Amino acid sequence: MDVHGIVYAYHSSAALGELTRTRTNASLPFAGRYRLIDFALSCLSNAGVRDVGVIMQRDFQSLLDHVAGGKAWDISRRRGGMRLLPPFGDNRGGDYAGTAEALNAVMGYLRDIPQDHIVLYPADVLCNLDLTAAIRQHLRSGCGITAVTTSCDPDVEHYRFVAGEDGLAKQLLFRQVGHGAGEAASEIYIARKDVLLQLLDRCEAANRFHFHTDCLAAYLADGGKIDLFQHEGFLKRIDSVADYYSASMAMLKPGPRGDLFPADRPVRTKERSDVSTYYGEQARVENSLIADGCYIEGSVKNSILFRGVRVAPGAVVENCILMQDTTVASDATMKYIIADKDVTVSEHELLAGSEKLPLVIPKRSKL
Amino acid sequence: MLLAGGQGSRLYALTAKVAKPGMPFGGKYRIIDFPLSNCANSGIDTVGVLTQYQPLQLNRYVGSGQPWDLDTTDGGVYILPPYQSAGERGSWFSGTANAIYQNIDFIEMYDPDHVLILSGDHVYKMDYADMLRKHREAEAACTIAVIQVSMEEATRFGIMNVGEDGFINEFEEKPAHPKSDLASMGIYIFDWKKLRQALIEDENDPNSSKDFGKNIIPKMLAAGEKLLPYRFEGYWRDVGTITSLWDANMDMLSTTSLNLFDPQWPIRARSPIRPPHYVGESGRIIHSIVTEGCDVDGKVENSVLSHSVKVGAGAKVLYSVIMPGAVIEPGAVVEYAIVGENAHIGAGAHVGAEPDGSEGWGVATIGPEVRVGAGVAVPPSAMIYESSEVQS
Repeated sequence: MDVHGIVYAYHSSAALGELTRTRTNASLPFAGRYRLIDFALSCLSNAGVRDVGVIMQRDFQSLLDHVAGGKAWDISRRRGGMRLLPPFGDNRGGDYAGTAEALNAVMGYLRDIPQDHIVLYPADVLCNLDLTAAIRQHLRSGCGITAVTTSCDPDVEHYRFVAGEDGLAKQLLFRQVGHGAGEAASEIYIARKDVLLQLLDRCEAANRFHFHTDCLAAYLADGGKIDLFQHEGFLKRIDSVADYYSASMAMLKPGPRGDLFPADRPVRTKERSDVSTYYGEQARVENSLIADGCYIEGSVKNSILFRGVRVAPGAVVENCILMQDTTVASDATMKYIIADKDVTVSEHELLAGSEKLPLVIPKRSKL
Repeated sequence: MLLAGGQGSRLYALTAKVAKPGMPFGGKYRIIDFPLSNCANSGIDTVGVLTQYQPLQLNRYVGSGQPWDLDTTDGGVYILPPYQSAGERGSWFSGTANAIYQNIDFIEMYDPDHVLILSGDHVYKMDYADMLRKHREAEAACTIAVIQVSMEEATRFGIMNVGEDGFINEFEEKPAHPKSDLASMGIYIFDWKKLRQALIEDENDPNSSKDFGKNIIPKMLAAGEKLLPYRFEGYWRDVGTITSLWDANMDMLSTTSLNLFDPQWPIRARSPIRPPHYVGESGRIIHSIVTEGCDVDGKVENSVLSHSVKVGAGAKVLYSVIMPGAVIEPGAVVEYAIVGENAHIGAGAHVGAEPDGSEGWGVATIGPEVRVGAGVAVPPSAMIYESSEVQS
């Protein structure tokens, strides 16, 4: 495979608030047993891309613990394989202002990449992309860059590509909201290494940091060719609590769940030794996604339970996301709650958010 | 040394393609997970798994031993099939003792003081390190794990009679009139030098059936060696028959039999790559265990679901064991049954029945990959090998 993967795992969205206080978006738990980065790493691995650099900057303890050597994704190799890329000695100070700056910060690594093509993949894009097909199209078209696009969600602000008659990108629109022309950028790209390095060198020389507004816009303006590969099916960038909650709840619907977990492109994650989930005599569970290792004796509806969650008799859990090892004592009631790992809720406690504003309970809280 | 070559012939269709230790059990597990996890939890990091009968699935499952932390650089888990040596030597394992005899060279590579012999078809949690401690303290030639059974059951086991000195003074294989209720669990720790000698002598005995229980133990006893009983108290089940397999699965619904949730003694398994299980709006699960990858839209009660099982809307699964990948179509009823891997129960079919007190009643079994036609009734006690038996 003449393709190398680069995963951006350094970003923490401010709008994810408490959920990313001690982690980056990349290691945000999702769908009962995953972290967001699992989707990027599985996608690369499923397409046969086994050499992957993961760019991190800070708050990466949780991420390191999760990805370890990359073994869960078969990218722990003698030669190549996964490389974690924390910031190097050159002290840039502050967070990376944009992906171009992040890529320039690991330029030494990029230059040494032996492959001719590089997949750029933000760890907080949630989808199950047929990367094999995208790479095939990229290689066949001969374009310097191929952008993976998706249909526009009018409520979300994103970059958009407008295609010309030849199907290639004619125009790149910045930060568009609402209905309009073009296809939304997933921000997943496949680039020829020489083209990418040239664009990054220009950014570095001009002290520019942004991949879209600086690199891609300049590339198009110079007559560079950007091919568009349309991803069908579920795709969502997780940037806020609202994004996170709605993407999570979408997993209760067979369509999006099937899109994200197709049988032929499995999503891999770090193993935990859990038993099967036990349902008690009084258990009442409907329309919910339940991971292994749970012990359910109460009522659970429209919710997502991560591994090792306990729901005692008489407890009511509705429209909630309960992360790993949350314990809900008897007769407690939780509605529209996102409970981070290891939260303990005591007997008769009543906790409620709303659909528009789900309540986030920080990791290890005891209520 | 884990003896995993057993066919498990009394499991019929379920073990036609897989050795008994490779059988799915208790939702998440396969039988071999219990001895392998016990080894890992007891600090044993070199394990030979002796295979012979239908080893492919088992080999694939054990793999590098990584799920049990048995993928160490010098040691770990080794699959040991029978092999040929120069000069027409080497053959199929002709008995449990012969299987170890044929692997003397493997054991010698590690130059151990003691060797633990296990069978791969029991469900239990046991600290072999504690057993080894007792074995060492007593300076025994062999220590045999024993469990108390009822006097009626004692006629089905190898029974140990213990003298006043605390050592075994008599061993009877399936006695008609047992003198004791201490049954051998088929778990032995031997002083390696003595076992090696005994294996070589037994191999040269043309009248021997090359079996630990029948030959090695009685011979050591006759030679005046010190044989120590190691009393085990706790949950232990042989899952060699359809009824015992079904019973033991049902036991997993209660934490008082074998607490699988105990973090101090985790039973590990090689897990498939599947998302969490989904319970639909019409799904109802009561007193059951359910594993990742399942999709439940029907009713599941008092049952054990392995991974990737589908239960359609209006279907009922009651008092049953459903193995990985099986599909129960809408409206089908499965009760008091074991459904094999990837079996398919057609819409409106009815498998098994409630106990009615009659003598012919028993758990119904659908073999792996079998497709039961829509609307077909499969009676209790049935053993279905082929789809052609249950088409209409």
